[in-house]
Amino acid sequence: MLGDSVNAQEVFHTTLREAALRAAHGELPNEPFWLFRDARWRCLEATKTDLQAEPFEMEEQEITAVAGSQIERLEPRQLAIWISAAPEPQRTALALFYLDEFDYREIADLAELKPSELSRLLALGRRQFQAWLDATLPKRPTI
Amino acid sequence: MKTPGLSRRQRALANCAPINEERIRDRSMRAAVFRARSSSEFENQQSFDRALATLVRAIPIPPETAEWFSGKDLMAPSKWTWRKTARNPVVLAIGIALVVIAGVFVLQFVGRLNDFPGSGTARKLLSIAGSTRSVVLDPVNADAGALSDLFFLKHGLEHYDVPAEFADFRTIGCRVFEDDESQRIAQIWVVEKRMQFFLFPAERNVKTGAVLNFQGWRYVHQEGWVGGVTERSGVCFMVALRGREKDLAPYLATAKQ
Repeated sequence: MLGDSVNAQEVFHTTLREAALRAAHGELPNEPFWLFRDARWRCLEATKTDLQAEPFEMEEQEITAVAGSQIERLEPRQLAIWISAAPEPQRTALALFYLDEFDYREIADLAELKPSELSRLLALGRRQFQAWLDATLPKRPTI
Repeated sequence: MKTPGLSRRQRALANCAPINEERIRDRSMRAAVFRARSSSEFENQQSFDRALATLVRAIPIPPETAEWFSGKDLMAPSKWTWRKTARNPVVLAIGIALVVIAGVFVLQFVGRLNDFPGSGTARKLLSIAGSTRSVVLDPVNADAGALSDLFFLKHGLEHYDVPAEFADFRTIGCRVFEDDESQRIAQIWVVEKRMQFFLFPAERNVKTGAVLNFQGWRYVHQEGWVGGVTERSGVCFMVALRGREKDLAPYLATAKQ
């Protein structure tokens, strides 16, 4: 979400500290994903004051069969930066989807999206990431 | 995804297909994945997603953050409590249906408890009482007790006697008619609270033909009317009025005395 481990850690600890305080006062919300929702809002708050990228039309490419091998050549940090640079709510959708901890309804709920919007944003994100992969990591010639 | 053979909704679902198929929790998603599985585009999407998820898992977590998790699940599985079960719409709907069915059975059972020989006919006559207009009766201005002779002499109805307790009530009109079982019914309309009296044959044992007697007054209710029924000499007498038991009770109390 933040593309920066120091910021992420700060948000993580603030979220847990706040949760502990609320628990001590018996004020924990009665909904299943409140902690994740809270963490997401803190991430959005934390990046509100950051420099924002100029909105521009990202290129798109259909996913290819070699995308897997292209991704294997990436550093985790590159993916984190790419996702953190995506506009909201696509950033939340991609981050939660690739965490592989939630199903699509839970992600849509957390990102405050309709399932159809989530579907569109995920498909768009894949095509944009594929275009970025193609531009960053040229395909290896097949023998 | 442009996989042919998938509906728009299934295409949308396939775009959100979980990386791990064990995470599929609903039928519509399972169907969409099943249908999309044959296409190469979906295969590419799945291997793309798996590769990205592997990369995400490789993101290093600082030790001071990692110790918070210490191998425990990030989300504790929600407990299946009775309250949660009760709030499930399916359970709620079944519960309401069972309560309604039980209520109907209880009402029928309670209704049966108050049944007596002739109560079925009495209820039908209460419905008739509710729909009768005074113009259908022959106008008679007399004491109700005096009509016994009229019923005997004009219609040949024996023992169609108004009990002495109600004999002094002034009448507006009367008639004799046959019900749907060809039983001859005498109907009297009196001035007092626009009550109606009914005299009808008491129920008999189907095999022996013996009159099924019962003692005292029994109440019946139908469509906002209440009736008090008693049986004498094989003929039932019913006093009926629009209202509740408490409206009729004073008259029957007087009758008992």
